[in-house]
Amino acid sequence: MNVPQGDLLRKRVVTDLATPLAQALDAAVTGYARLEPGDTLLLDAEGVGVITFEEGVPVVAYHTGTDSGGTDALDDIAVAGPSRVALYELDGDSLAALHDTPELRVPPGLPAERLAGDPALAERTREAAPESRRRAAEQEQTGLAAVEQFLEDGDRIENIRERAHDQAETRAEEWGFDLPET
Amino acid sequence: MPAFIPESEANGGMVEVFAVASGKGGTGKTTSTMALGMALASEHDVTVIDADTGMANMLFHAGLADADTTLHDVLAGEAAVEAAVYERFGMSVVPCGTSLSGFQQAEPDRLRTVVATLAAETDVILLDSPAALGSRSAVLPIVLADRIVVVLQPTIPSLSDGLKVQEYATTYGTGVAGVLFNRVTEDEAIDRIATKTEQYFEGETLATVPESDAVRDARRAGEPLLAHAPESAPAAAYRKAAARLAVRDRPVDPVADRFRSAVIPDHS
Repeated sequence: MNVPQGDLLRKRVVTDLATPLAQALDAAVTGYARLEPGDTLLLDAEGVGVITFEEGVPVVAYHTGTDSGGTDALDDIAVAGPSRVALYELDGDSLAALHDTPELRVPPGLPAERLAGDPALAERTREAAPESRRRAAEQEQTGLAAVEQFLEDGDRIENIRERAHDQAETRAEEWGFDLPET
Repeated sequence: MPAFIPESEANGGMVEVFAVASGKGGTGKTTSTMALGMALASEHDVTVIDADTGMANMLFHAGLADADTTLHDVLAGEAAVEAAVYERFGMSVVPCGTSLSGFQQAEPDRLRTVVATLAAETDVILLDSPAALGSRSAVLPIVLADRIVVVLQPTIPSLSDGLKVQEYATTYGTGVAGVLFNRVTEDEAIDRIATKTEQYFEGETLATVPESDAVRDARRAGEPLLAHAPESAPAAAYRKAAARLAVRDRPVDPVADRFRSAVIPDHS
């Protein structure tokens, strides 16, 4: 997925992904955020996550390492520990083709629910969504209902576990940990 | 009469090491470590260690902000383990310093020796673990532990990270004692969430700890929650969690060797 380089607005390490999402929303940024684990040794192998915004409201999400898009990409973007986040401004025309890709689109409030666990921010984001996205926003679950919905998606959770297991095995080798015999 | 008394007989042959872990910061790991430690101390000889050496804060929870010697000094090879052990609140507390230079000089691998040394003299060790999985030193406490206690908040990122922590633990041969839902502000759906969460975690839900000003007040007073507000709702929840955390009798093989062989130091 190629996006033209935007103008860098901010770059920082955050422990809470609510921070860049709130910044994008409050400044009504049209552009994208580039997110990567803040302390990993496997940056190149694992790729980066990208979330685009229109007037501060998330539109699409994808992950370059796993080639996932939409809601699946949010699972890959969510990392344990700090993240390095860079927020870029980019004109809407440059993002148009990307935003027309249905499999990459995410409901407006979902990044705040999934990445930040911040129902208040999710609600603010939905309220800021344009009329054309209201329907998607209204269908979203929020707060603990969103958590329940997440827990009911066994396949998604199994996927998160499998990836973490594979990552733990790969890293064990790098870190010199002796894995137990299975 | 046995001709040979194993080293582990010094503490009755029993020690269990728990890593108190979560993928995200702000879930209340240190509060939980101290509270579980104090609750377990009514029946066991307990040692709590601040293994979050990059973001240490146990010293503030235990009134040890002025401690002369901390885990940083031990990990830097500049002090003996015993010098960093403080008897507080009925437990042995090993705080870690907060300076960047202390962190930079520390050799994380020495944590194995610290755990092995203290294991010979205590029944239960609780390791307050880093909220990250991205580096060898961040994961080491989980590797050294027998079981982890996963501290969760009822949010998607916290659950998602908790699942990742569990996978790391089980991949590295560490068990899961259970999950602790912390800082719960809304209880209407929490029982359903706890039930649904249990199906994905190997341990049970140890307790649901309500969000409370008592936690913040205890922290400001430099005391563990169970010392500052023993009658508070979160304190009661932690005691319930500790009661469910049945400490296991470990095999009588030499305790120290168990930890020394837990990982192979290979920096070559």
